[in-house]
Amino acid sequence: MSGQATPAITCQNVWQVFGANADSALKRALSSTGSADEAAALLRAEGLTPAVQDATFEVQEGELFVIMGLSGSGKSTLIRCISQLLPGTGGEILIEGEDIRAASPKRLIEMRRKTLGMVFQHFGLFPHMSVAENVAYPLRVQGMGKKQRLAKAQQVIDLVGLGGREKNFPRELSGGQRQRVGIARSLVADCSVWFLDEPFSALDPLIRRQLQDEFLDIQAKLKTTIVFITHDINEALKLADRIAIMRDGKIVQIGTPSDIVLNPVDDYVREFSKDVAKGQHARVASVMQAGSDLPHGPDDPGLRRDMTLDAALARCMELYEPVPVRDKDGALLGVVNPADLAAALQVDPAA
Amino acid sequence: MTRLSKGSIAALIALAVGALCLALEGVAPWLIAFPKGWVLPATEWVGSAMEAVLALIKPSARLFSSLMAYPMEAANWILGATPWPLLIAATVALAWRLGGLTMALMAAVGLGAVLASGYWPQSMNTLALVSVSVPLALLIGGAIGVLANEYPRVRAPVQALLDVMQTVPTFAYLTPLLVLFGFGPVVGLIASAIYAAPPMARNVLLGLQRIEPEIKEAAIMAGGTRTQQLFQVEIPAAATQIMVGVNQCLMAALSMVIIAAVIGGFDDIGWEVLLTMRKAQFGASLLAGMVIVIFAILIDRMSGTLADEKRRSYDGRVSLAILGIGVIASLVFYGQVQDPGAYGLFHSTADRVDAGLSAFTSANAEALTAIKNGVMFYVLLPLRIGFDQAVLPFTWGFVWTSGMSLALFGVAALVGLYCAYRGRLTFGVVILIAAGMLETGISQLPWPFVLVGVGALSYVAGGLRLAALSVVLLATILLSGLWERALLSLYLSGASVFACAVLGGAIGLASAVSPMVWRVVRPICDMLQTIPLFVFLIPVLMVFQIGEFSAFLAIMAYAIVPMIRYTRHGLTETPEEMIEAATASGATGWQMMRDVRAPYAAPTILLGLNQTILYAFAMLVIAALIGTTGLGQSIYLALGQADVGLGISAGAAMAILALIADRIVQGFAEERRKALGL
Ligand SMILES: Nc1ncnc2c1ncn2[C@@H]1O[C@H](COP(=O)(O)OP(=O)(O)O)[C@@H](O)[C@H]1O
Ligand SMILES: [Mg+2]
Repeated sequence: MSGQATPAITCQNVWQVFGANADSALKRALSSTGSADEAAALLRAEGLTPAVQDATFEVQEGELFVIMGLSGSGKSTLIRCISQLLPGTGGEILIEGEDIRAASPKRLIEMRRKTLGMVFQHFGLFPHMSVAENVAYPLRVQGMGKKQRLAKAQQVIDLVGLGGREKNFPRELSGGQRQRVGIARSLVADCSVWFLDEPFSALDPLIRRQLQDEFLDIQAKLKTTIVFITHDINEALKLADRIAIMRDGKIVQIGTPSDIVLNPVDDYVREFSKDVAKGQHARVASVMQAGSDLPHGPDDPGLRRDMTLDAALARCMELYEPVPVRDKDGALLGVVNPADLAAALQVDPAA
Repeated sequence: MTRLSKGSIAALIALAVGALCLALEGVAPWLIAFPKGWVLPATEWVGSAMEAVLALIKPSARLFSSLMAYPMEAANWILGATPWPLLIAATVALAWRLGGLTMALMAAVGLGAVLASGYWPQSMNTLALVSVSVPLALLIGGAIGVLANEYPRVRAPVQALLDVMQTVPTFAYLTPLLVLFGFGPVVGLIASAIYAAPPMARNVLLGLQRIEPEIKEAAIMAGGTRTQQLFQVEIPAAATQIMVGVNQCLMAALSMVIIAAVIGGFDDIGWEVLLTMRKAQFGASLLAGMVIVIFAILIDRMSGTLADEKRRSYDGRVSLAILGIGVIASLVFYGQVQDPGAYGLFHSTADRVDAGLSAFTSANAEALTAIKNGVMFYVLLPLRIGFDQAVLPFTWGFVWTSGMSLALFGVAALVGLYCAYRGRLTFGVVILIAAGMLETGISQLPWPFVLVGVGALSYVAGGLRLAALSVVLLATILLSGLWERALLSLYLSGASVFACAVLGGAIGLASAVSPMVWRVVRPICDMLQTIPLFVFLIPVLMVFQIGEFSAFLAIMAYAIVPMIRYTRHGLTETPEEMIEAATASGATGWQMMRDVRAPYAAPTILLGLNQTILYAFAMLVIAALIGTTGLGQSIYLALGQADVGLGISAGAAMAILALIADRIVQGFAEERRKALGL
């Protein structure tokens, strides 16, 4: 991740408070208390709902950023603030460097046409339009001619594997097919920032896995910036470059999948990863001591940075001394103590 | 007993006030009848204020009225001049397109019957009115609905306005309109547009609000402007609900156009009914009524298909073919087709019905009178003026003595005490109150008792705010001098609603238990709900002549339907799991009904009762045509004398009664729903 490039999304102290006079209540709460937590507690005491509290993070261009949390933790609210379906109560939101909260209504429409795309949990398909019309709708509002937009829609429909279903209406499709329509519709305008709010949660597990794989394929092809919401840790680990974990409106941890699994900041996060087979998700890099001059034992089981812990442990079952980790050219990157490997795999490390 | 419940306290207070009023009757007669001297001349005030306002807008109203004359004349001319074979073919073609063979057959047979009846020209005049007023109503209603959706701030006032408009009786609109627009068909047109716009507005708003939020969000995220979102996504997505509005709008407009006939001799089908009814030509009147029913059913069923989500459209080529046949038939037989008004296939039937009816009524005069007098003497009169006046040698065969009063109260007190002893204090007190009301009669209840009693009931149903609202509104009626008439209306509608609740509840229960019963009851309900109010008067009038009993029957026939429907619906909609759980616990069918289905259905049944009350009030005014006293009659009189003050005040009083009843019942329904966690 390069530090200088403009991030695709920047959130700086974003708040969304529901209730009467939320704006002034938030200002008052922030000025009268020292921390975000205290301000949120004060707002709650006043009967308001601070659904998103002080969210600060960046999403880099091309990154797949997953927001995870229990139901009601504020994930949808956060994504709706970023896409300005909700106004936001406080803070700053930049999309590709542009302050979207300050954008005029006209500019906002412009951005939604050109930059932002969104997929909904319950699909949000227009019941009175066929598959093709649904998918082509974002082009229709831009005033594109019928023939042209249907041709463009056809490409995305093929991309999501719905060829032959163009004339069907949403009610005639299965859940998985409906969500493919939703995905196609959000892709048709070539947006560069893509929001998906629990897109696969309403589907049964088998279809879900299939769509996840297809989603990864599409993502590899398009390389858009993605904010993906889920409440399913396995889905998050499978898809994410980075994961943000939300609890009661607060982002409690942001990190790579192995960070989340190996170094949960609190019991809430730990509870999520409890049932995860950590060895399959965490990588050697997360327990490695980096440095090309560190001492290590005589054995070299051939560990790599991006190996899963399970694979690494299988290679050094018999070893006790630190072992080297090398890149593919054989250069030393760092060392790993086999005892650390085993400790990291403890399901519930005594904190 | 440690603490009294809210209900018990309210009932005890009402009881105390009632008892006090009765006890003090001798010393302070002003406690019973509100003294005339205290009445404010509110009716006159309203009258002069309204007349001032009306005078102000009269020029523009008259201008509008002369403008509306153009489309009306155009519609009249088109419907009148088009050869009937073409009109029938066009309707049948449309019916085919909407509903296939059944619908097409229905249209063909229905219009054939209309043609044969000889009422074709009159029907076309009515339809011309409808065809102008409906687009107007759709436009106004649609605009109001969309605006209320767009601007949340006007939503609450608009909803309140629509509520009030629903409770204001139809005739009450007519008087100010008459003053504004002068006699003539335009008044009917405008009245029906005003009457038909609210259902459209309501359904448009409901439809737009019910769209899944994600669908709206998807339209936003696609980058649509607000106009694009509204017209390309939201309105089409709400189409089904909006079509329900169109259907209701059509039916309301038709109903009102027919009612509006009372104001003038415009040669339409409603006027025909009224005329024949006045001349006691019941055969002809029934025939004209049948024509109205045919149109109502055709319009309802045809527009109803639009609101059917699963509708399919039928082959348009068949429609074209039917239309083609119509054109050819018109061309070929042009010149030869008879004037459509000249058919009189049913005239002899009508005459025979008339003759048969006279024979029937004279042959069964005794039985009919017995029925009528039985209900009047033993039910309606005691309710109205109480046992103390209704029980006479002429009616019951003996005189009501104070000893009997004492006995009545004694028995009621014993039953009440027993109930209280069993822990049902509220119920016991209510029994005592009921005994008191039977003794005095609803139309002679002491006014402090009515205020306190309704206030107490409102408090139990909806808290202090509702109680305050009810008392203040009732007090306005009291001060305006319409109190006695209001009580009379209350009595008749109360009696009808009670009868509807018992009978309709029983029929609903039977329909819920037995699908066979429902199969019979359902088409009857459908039918009753499609028939315009006005037509209900014909059969009761035929058999029982003018009078309160006929009005009572007409109101019942109209108002019973929602009670039946909601009761059945409530009782059959119990979630499957609850039924299974009860079955697994070993409940018998009856236990299931009593312990599971009935409690679960209570909120729904209460809503049905609510509808029944509103229907009863609506019909009460129409029933004034065949002889009721009370507010309905005042409204009708005001119409005859173009007395705006009386018309509006009486209409408002009626609306107030309906509104209070509505809020109280809704309050109870809401409470039941909450108790069930719905
Ligand atoms: N429009 C709203 N008005 C008031 N409260 C809301 C609104 N939308 C969401 N909330 C509240 O905000 C919290 C977070 O909701 P949401 O973002 O939908 O959670 P998630 O998507 O993580 O399940 C919940 O407590 C919810 O009740
Ligand atoms: Mg959500």
